[in-house]
Amino acid sequence: MPDPDAPTRRPLRLGVCGPVGTGKSSLIALLCRELAPDLEIGVVTNDIYTDEDARFLRSAGVLDPARIVAVETGACPHTAIRDDITANLMAVEDLEAAHAPLDLVLIESGGDNLTATFSPALVDVQIFLLDVAGGGDVARKGGPGIERADLLVVNKTDLAPYVGVDAVLMTADARSARSGGPVIALSRSDPGSIAELTGWVLGRLAAYEAGDLVPQDPGPMAPHWHASTAEHRHDSVEQPAR
Amino acid sequence: MTTASSDLLLMLLSDARLPVAGHTQSAGLEPALREGLTDVPAYLRLRLRTVTRVEAGTAVVAMHHVRAGRPLGPVEAAWAARTPSPAMRTTSHQLARGLLRLAGALWPLADLAAPSSRPVVLGAVGAAVGLSPPSLARLVGYDDVQTVSAAALKLTPLNPAQTTRWVLDALPQIDLLAAEVAVLTAPDEIPASSAPQIEQWAERHAVATRRLFSA
Repeated sequence: MPDPDAPTRRPLRLGVCGPVGTGKSSLIALLCRELAPDLEIGVVTNDIYTDEDARFLRSAGVLDPARIVAVETGACPHTAIRDDITANLMAVEDLEAAHAPLDLVLIESGGDNLTATFSPALVDVQIFLLDVAGGGDVARKGGPGIERADLLVVNKTDLAPYVGVDAVLMTADARSARSGGPVIALSRSDPGSIAELTGWVLGRLAAYEAGDLVPQDPGPMAPHWHASTAEHRHDSVEQPAR
Repeated sequence: MTTASSDLLLMLLSDARLPVAGHTQSAGLEPALREGLTDVPAYLRLRLRTVTRVEAGTAVVAMHHVRAGRPLGPVEAAWAARTPSPAMRTTSHQLARGLLRLAGALWPLADLAAPSSRPVVLGAVGAAVGLSPPSLARLVGYDDVQTVSAAALKLTPLNPAQTTRWVLDALPQIDLLAAEVAVLTAPDEIPASSAPQIEQWAERHAVATRRLFSA
């Protein structure tokens, strides 16, 4: 019998975003395959054309197809995860209610550009995904997701020799852009990198269940620097000293 | 606390930036275009004479019932009887949930059954913010016309000035619709003007793959 006095616990909501083709659906399939034996998982996809990603995941056979739902975004994938999260929240809540109790809900954004990140009102924690085939300089270019998502994954490192990218350098660029924030260089043929990824997810889940996880917003604006070394505040109405 | 003008409240409720999942909707335009529709302004006029007229009438009667302390069940039943497409009723229930999620956090609303239809929730919201019946009816008509026109830009190659012209040209018909339904107070008076072709398209869309819009 469940304890009626126990606080209602909803699952950890983990967002996965990043540009088109970087491997979001494959990453989610990988997480399901690795974690589903031990965790109760649900998935919400936000594909541009409704259900391509959901069908891919269902056909991957890693999860009960009923636990994978698609949300139509009306060609507005950025809006659906950031400024109007209504449709996604309803889908997540329905999934959680239909398959309770879940431990983890994965939300896949529609492939978008480098500026898209999840609202902290939709997800508790988010992964931003790049891949070596998208170009070795992307990590250095930065952006809110690259710099401040909870985890940056540089995917498909096994392809680096074929696309003329130095995966080690790209990963180092990413670490530098993130001021030491976590980066995982992932390849589905490298079991060590997969263990690193699942370890990170399980660590976040443990922190969430312990009540130690506060959603962080990667934010809309890239940080910037001024030539002057004098301190200044953008929320101050005072004029800077001349 | 001072209260905002009804003009501003109406603008707030009609703004596409209101986070109620409006971007997921095409008001039936996506399946209509797929089935060969070419004259979008005619589609707008058809909706205003049929399904949108039902929506506007339902919203006005629901608002009257909230203000008069009458139960909303008969209004909900009258709307459902005039909305024979299960797919369209499901869409309306989903949109109502999204609207209720937002509006419930902003205003004290009348008690609503689950699921409620979108026009009934709009009626409750209209009562909470103090809209007049014609304003509420205009909101329903305007939102429908803008939803179709905005979706048209995503679905077909068009100049945005062209779709804005469609909206502008439809405004007088929205005013006529509002004048017609604003006086309604009883569920039996809600127009029963269904559009079988639109309903059939909605049913097909609900089971289609590769959709851009939910409905």
